[in-house]
Amino acid sequence: MKYYFTLQYRMLNRHLRAFGLYPILGYLLAILLFIGGSFYIFSKTEYAAYIYAFFALSPLTLLSETKRTDFLKSCFPAKDYLKIRIAENLLVTLPFLLFLAFKNEWLVLLALALIAALMARFHFNNQFNYTLPTPFYKRPFEFIVGFRTTIGVIGFAYFLTIMGISVGNFNLGIFSLLVIFLTSFSFYAQPDSQFLVWIFSNTSRSFLIDKIKTGMAYVTVLALPILVGLGYFFLEKWNILLVFWGLGYLYLLTIILAKYAAFPRAMNLPESIFIVASIFFPPFLLFVIPFFYRRSIKNLNTVLA
Amino acid sequence: MIKIEQLSKSFGVKEVLKAINLSFEKGKVYGIVGANGAGKTTLFRCIAGLETHTGLIHSDKQPLKNHLGFLPTNPYFFPKITGWEYLQLFCIARKISIANFDEKNIFDLPLNQYAITYSTGMKKKLAMTAILLLKNDYFILDEPFNGVDIQSNIIITELIKKLKSLGKTIIISSHIFSTLSTTCDEIHLLKNGQFVRKVLPAEFTLLEQEMTDFTVGDSIDKLDLR
Repeated sequence: MKYYFTLQYRMLNRHLRAFGLYPILGYLLAILLFIGGSFYIFSKTEYAAYIYAFFALSPLTLLSETKRTDFLKSCFPAKDYLKIRIAENLLVTLPFLLFLAFKNEWLVLLALALIAALMARFHFNNQFNYTLPTPFYKRPFEFIVGFRTTIGVIGFAYFLTIMGISVGNFNLGIFSLLVIFLTSFSFYAQPDSQFLVWIFSNTSRSFLIDKIKTGMAYVTVLALPILVGLGYFFLEKWNILLVFWGLGYLYLLTIILAKYAAFPRAMNLPESIFIVASIFFPPFLLFVIPFFYRRSIKNLNTVLA
Repeated sequence: MIKIEQLSKSFGVKEVLKAINLSFEKGKVYGIVGANGAGKTTLFRCIAGLETHTGLIHSDKQPLKNHLGFLPTNPYFFPKITGWEYLQLFCIARKISIANFDEKNIFDLPLNQYAITYSTGMKKKLAMTAILLLKNDYFILDEPFNGVDIQSNIIITELIKKLKSLGKTIIISSHIFSTLSTTCDEIHLLKNGQFVRKVLPAEFTLLEQEMTDFTVGDSIDKLDLR
């Protein structure tokens, strides 16, 4: 059991190093982000403790994935298996429990700890046989995979738009547009398999242009209901809507280029720094986009003609 | 034709392929055999252009990668992509239009299901179908028989024969010797990154026996099974 947790620790360190961070720096950053995020949530809403508990329980569903739990069951005796599952669930929720204690939310804390421990007895199958239809089926693959994985978030964004329109809150509508764009950016987070780029007969340039055109067209499909709704009900604010829409496209372009600027590896620290810098200072895009484009072409040339 | 001259490949200080020379002619099936780690997959990846290397690879169709169907040992599948969408991706990649995938679905795969939920053999068959749709001139099949059922095994064997009769060049690696002996015109033995022997059909049985004797030796006796 001790060795199992040592291995988890080693794996986490390897992930951080692969991301380009010294593990100790990674842990410090994670703690800072966690504390900052926690204070932010509690400063924004009176229901923070419940939202917080939801966030804490989300990663536990990943730990309870059937294939993973089957593997653990095959490795450890039943008693040790249960100990491991309870320990890892409590370890993951520990930072949340500590912050809830700090906020004197004892009832939520107790419920969260109990649910976390109880979840050790359950497992969930993430692979359903049901195939979710998608409007993006003609051009594999980012939006097909992304749409099916984040359908709940997309539905939530549309719900926020309806709420924003019904209470006359334009900012909430803009926020829902941002959710759609941010969700679309996440579709490009995983690196392509080298082989599945290699199969293309395109040149690197035309491959990239195809990817960008598909991304732009499909994000428009996802954003269109929000744009039409906000455009119709907040006609006087069309200029603000246009700015956010345009920036969304620009950042999507940047993310696609960043993905291939890192290819065949996953995007990590250098690309993230450039992206974050250009979010805080949009004119930086004038440098970042050509830079990522040149690197993308260079990297894609290794497998494309 | 594909002609390889003085092909070498190293990973760090480890030299995986050592100055390999070999030609693959039109309308022939070539078997590549060797122990795990002998360099078969690296050789295939070099031919496909997925690895940098020293030495030359010539082909009569340029660029070679656009005329080559490569079946990797473990084909990669995205999560939440159906079999149909996987085939569509390959067709878009090579700008080929296929109106109806169902009639090309010779392995009776459930194309509307997520490919990631397929069994090992089904995944292999889906990847095989994809490269067959692309009208390639050359095929590299890395362990095509791994995990597939006996019926599909027969279909793949017949497919290889059909491709050969159409003048295609096929290079196969397999750890199942019988599948090679029924399909190959030549078998090349790769050992420590070098081709050490070329075997023609008349000697296939002898090669199999030699490999069995060499590989097994007295190693099973060491287990002292009772």
